[in-house]
Amino acid sequence: MKIEINNISKTFGDLKANSEISISINNGIHALLGENGAGKSTLVKIISGQIAPDQGEILINDKSLQLGSPKQSIENGIGLLNQDPQDFGNLSVLETFLVGIKDKNPYRNLNKTKQSISDLFEKYKIKINFLERTNNLSIGERQQIELIRLLYNGAKLIVLDEPTSAFSLEQKSMMFNTLRSLTNEGIIIIFVSHKLDEIMELCDSGTILKLGKVIHSINKPFNSKEIIGKMFENTVSLVKKDQDFSNSKFFNISISKNDLISIKNTYLENKFPYGSVIGIAGLQGSSNDLYIKNFFTNNLSETRINLDSNKNISKNTFYYMPADRVERGLFRDLTVLEHYGLYKASESKTLNWEKIKTIASKKISEFNIKANFSNKVSELSGGNQQRLMLSLMPEAQSILLLEQPTRGLDLNSAQNIWEMILSRKSKDIAIIFSSTDIDEIWDYSEIIISVSGRFILNVDYKKHLTKDKIINYVSGIV
Amino acid sequence: MNKNFEILQINLLRLLFTLSIIFLVLSLFGTSPIKVFDSIIYGSLGSYSKFIRTLIVWAPISMASIALIYTFSAGMWNIGIEGQIIMGAVGATLIARSFLGDTFISPYVQIIFAIGFGGVWGLICGLLKVKGNVHEIFSGLGLDFVASGIVIYLIIGPWKREGIASTSGTDIFNKSSWIPTIGQNEFPLLLIILILILYALSFVVLKYTSFGLRLKATGVNELATQRFYFSSSTFILLSFFIAGSIAGLAGFSQASGAYHKLVPSISGGFGFLSILIVLICSRNIYFTFLVSFFFSALIVGGSQLQIKLGLDHSLIGIIQATFVLSWLIFEKLKLEKSLLEIFFRSKK
Repeated sequence: MKIEINNISKTFGDLKANSEISISINNGIHALLGENGAGKSTLVKIISGQIAPDQGEILINDKSLQLGSPKQSIENGIGLLNQDPQDFGNLSVLETFLVGIKDKNPYRNLNKTKQSISDLFEKYKIKINFLERTNNLSIGERQQIELIRLLYNGAKLIVLDEPTSAFSLEQKSMMFNTLRSLTNEGIIIIFVSHKLDEIMELCDSGTILKLGKVIHSINKPFNSKEIIGKMFENTVSLVKKDQDFSNSKFFNISISKNDLISIKNTYLENKFPYGSVIGIAGLQGSSNDLYIKNFFTNNLSETRINLDSNKNISKNTFYYMPADRVERGLFRDLTVLEHYGLYKASESKTLNWEKIKTIASKKISEFNIKANFSNKVSELSGGNQQRLMLSLMPEAQSILLLEQPTRGLDLNSAQNIWEMILSRKSKDIAIIFSSTDIDEIWDYSEIIISVSGRFILNVDYKKHLTKDKIINYVSGIV
Repeated sequence: MNKNFEILQINLLRLLFTLSIIFLVLSLFGTSPIKVFDSIIYGSLGSYSKFIRTLIVWAPISMASIALIYTFSAGMWNIGIEGQIIMGAVGATLIARSFLGDTFISPYVQIIFAIGFGGVWGLICGLLKVKGNVHEIFSGLGLDFVASGIVIYLIIGPWKREGIASTSGTDIFNKSSWIPTIGQNEFPLLLIILILILYALSFVVLKYTSFGLRLKATGVNELATQRFYFSSSTFILLSFFIAGSIAGLAGFSQASGAYHKLVPSISGGFGFLSILIVLICSRNIYFTFLVSFFFSALIVGGSQLQIKLGLDHSLIGIIQATFVLSWLIFEKLKLEKSLLEIFFRSKK
């Protein structure tokens, strides 16, 4: 088996997602690395036939592959394992195999089919009951089964698109063992990830993408400094003045032991002055957003914010802003005005719409929201929805919990939103936000919490850190 | 253009379209639509006593429809409304058959009991939804059957008539347990006051209170409700309790206003009918007021069809269903709005 990717380009509007990408893989596990937006997913979709490139070709064993057809890709032995298992939760393990089978009537040879599947399971040391419902299995087990299913259907080249984001350590090592034994049989694996530690552990060769281009090829043995340098080079950052922490009041973040891998790198006296901006850094798929949410809902872990006075913080002190605005943050079918009504509803039993209108028009102009009172939230653009959420921040002293506050926004809107957030700095107890963009974390935070996967690797003031250190932490390197 | 005026125009046009479809359907049955409607209007509004009969039907339908607006606001399908009406009637009958039955306070105590019985029955649905994660359609349907079973058990069991056990109902209530009326034609003043209060109160609650707005925001987006400092679960429970209570009142109206006894079919199917009404009117109180009156007139007038035109009164069911279906289809098509736009553009 051999795959050659020649000169592939793909643009979406003005965005060059892939430009003139060429990669050739003969054997082993090949890593595809890059920041968010580097073009990894686009390339994966082109290889698996989900989208057609603007130009370029892919050769499988020196034969040209018809691009843009998932069916052709599958028939030529390309299998894709997605980030989330794409299976049927309400079927049994056996049934999921039968659904995707090439055989026209698998029931005719049910015993034979069963036998060949159980042989595969045995070969790769998977101990899962055939009759178990897929829903009852862990994500890791489901991904394993998906992998076996691809093999069963004849895949010779398997693309894994960040498959381990929901894995436990044990599941990960099981999966890695399986992958290694596959390469011994001549199966090629393309492993997409931005977790450097996994790549160092697993892969034989790799390609680093940046802004849609191949910028570097790597081979074992890897040099992690070199990789990080290449991945994040030229990302300039603005230098901001450190805040003067003369404030006398403090709050405290007590981090649960279960959330830490190691405590040696952590600034242990987690006492921070009022008005701090805390960035929770993490790669996509890590738990950084969940930590933000956890401060509000307390359902992930025991990690909490406490005030110096040791009083319990009332729910109304928090203002939580989720990353998916319409799904969890706002009410899609309610109008802009009704949202301001809800905002006032926690203060009095009756609604004075005249007063609400006055407040609403003030907020709408202050936060530069381009919408009318009667617009439903689903009719607003992402930036306007985000500004609407921000405009609903309480007037009183609060703890702001912002999940990826600038997700999916263009540079201008993002800057605009940050100005609004930072204008509350002198008033609020804390502004805590998460981001997958290291530059955003670096530019706006005074205290940085680095998260890799499920765990907090480091908590410290920015002045004790460097950007490289943070990148190491979020990549899982302590 | 004034927005309310535009909505009115759109709805009038839609009504016109819908009525033409009904006329078409009636003609297909080989009957004269004009004659049918003439007979319905005469049968429901032709005289003072007929008008009062229409009011007696309008009362429970209005109450059930208002009840459903609350659950509908919270995004809940309250199929259990029939059971809640039935249990309200059971509550009322309990008082009418008790030692209070021959006192003048009987109807007022009945109201309290009907509200309580219906409310609790609704609350069961809500609790199953919130605590047990049972979809409200299934629990509602189940509770409807349970309520029917209870009524039949009571009628042929503990509350059977002296000497005979028949499903024709309990003994007629003592007159003092009937809903108080005025004049020779028995104008049901108490009932009408109740409905008008309910309409007015619900209008205010849904439009001008925090409760109403929060109710509207309930049911879709649980995390977002937390962000606005209220709990989706509490509001779902409240909506079911309120809906059950108001539906219970409808049961009281049926037992002590219409039948003056408990019968197996005490709900009259008005709960399901109200679901159709609320589907058409969504949360609009004015429309609910009008459409529920129109449907009541259809029911009362429809009973005359047999006598006057020799037609089966199941024709009324066809008219109602056609009305709802065509209305909903026109609503989705949004024909009226485009028509109005074309009309006004050509005028300019």
